Amino acid sequence: MAQLRAELLKQRSTRTGLGLFATMLGLVVLAVFLHGFGLSAEDLAGTDVQLMVFGRGEFLAAIFAALLGAMSFTAEIRHGTIRSTFLVTPRRGRVVAAKVAASMLIGTGFGLVAGAAAVGAGAAALRARGIDVQLDGGDYMLLVLGSAVAAALLAAVGVGVGALVRYQVPTLIGICAWLLFVEGLLVGDVGGLGDVGRFLPGAAAAAISGQGPGTLLAPETGVVLLAFYAAATALTGALATSRRDVG
Amino acid sequence: MVKRVDERGVPVHADADPVVKVSSLTKLYGELVAVDDLSFSLEAGTITGFLGPNGAGKTTTLRLLLGLVAPTAGEALVFGRSYRELDQPARRVGAVLESSDFHPGRSGRDHLRSLAVAAEIPWSRVEEVLALVEIEAVAERRVKTYSLGMRQRLGLAGALLGDPELLVLDEPANGLDPAGVHWLRRFLRWFAEQGRTVLVSSHMLAEAAQTVDHVVIIDHGREVASGRLEELTDGGRTLEDIFLELTGGAS
Repeated sequence: MAQLRAELLKQRSTRTGLGLFATMLGLVVLAVFLHGFGLSAEDLAGTDVQLMVFGRGEFLAAIFAALLGAMSFTAEIRHGTIRSTFLVTPRRGRVVAAKVAASMLIGTGFGLVAGAAAVGAGAAALRARGIDVQLDGGDYMLLVLGSAVAAALLAAVGVGVGALVRYQVPTLIGICAWLLFVEGLLVGDVGGLGDVGRFLPGAAAAAISGQGPGTLLAPETGVVLLAFYAAATALTGALATSRRDVG
Repeated sequence: MVKRVDERGVPVHADADPVVKVSSLTKLYGELVAVDDLSFSLEAGTITGFLGPNGAGKTTTLRLLLGLVAPTAGEALVFGRSYRELDQPARRVGAVLESSDFHPGRSGRDHLRSLAVAAEIPWSRVEEVLALVEIEAVAERRVKTYSLGMRQRLGLAGALLGDPELLVLDEPANGLDPAGVHWLRRFLRWFAEQGRTVLVSSHMLAEAAQTVDHVVIIDHGREVASGRLEELTDGGRTLEDIFLELTGGAS
């Protein structure tokens, strides 16, 4: 518990978290408006497209939560604070666990705010254009709460990846490239392997918020799969951290 | 913890273990032998200069001692245990390894508070150590605005948070101005006079000679000399003479 409180204090005492939060929120509104005002009225009338547009909250919350989680580790490597952190808490698994817990808590907040902002901005955009919103209360709930769960779990993935890679710039580029680019290439029938794309972390995160019904996994399956990814990366990161030398 | 002294006024440690005991310590990085079968121990109440040329293995040895780096062979014990097995290590050992291990965007006070929280040390102690190293005035400022001297003092404040019995410092005088060096020397003497122990690495021999009472000199990862400074410099030779002779730097 002491380690968790220390991690939360570290997060509070720099501007990194606030900067990530503000950037995320700005991008959510921008992305939703670009879609909401850029797509044709015909496209926007469909439920699937509306879920995708309103799901930009989950998408961006997931990315930014992963970055926040990763930076909770890589920033300590970059600035050398990892040394005093491990001198105070030589049981390094505890440090990684505390970073996972702190990042998941903050990620939950990112997801709730981004999910709600996307829903609000999306509804406003559609109303402004006179397009009927096809979504019901259950969809909204899933978009907001699913965004929170997805962001929390990706925050844990981020900590694990950060602990494995350690270097800040490659870690952040890797996370962005994966979620923004690589997963997009693996959607659909890839190399005759079938539709493997929907089993990847970003797609599982989208599924949790109810996006892509029919093409993505069911939300509850997405939660289980993403929780598995989170646990696997965080554990691997913790193990590597316990064994490696700190120069 | 109560600092005990024997009838001659020499500090006695609560348990029989030496403060630091390094035994046949070896660290390989691939083919490179960073530390080579090194053994030494430290008694309570001493200031030991850990001396050697650049690349001699001083920094690696200190990291081995503090559990940041795992040995290839041998062991390094503090208070009879490996560092990673100490309960509440911050209350027994304080260390400054680099002069700028801080997040530049965090204030000095918040840096110390985050360490205090993790070590379960009250925040009132943060104010005490800020006063002790005389940087209260800049505690609210972000570390990126600090001079090198302020950073050295902040590092020392972090090491002192747990009121430790052993202080481990890697090149603490680097970048300090003459007033800073003078302050550090007085501080270390004050610290050791309370029966506590200092291990300080340095390659600044003239400065070390004025501060330490024991030395361990290493070269190529091996010990080349150790003992009381007075005994080593017996016969009018300076620490520099001895150092250069032993480490092959004499002209």
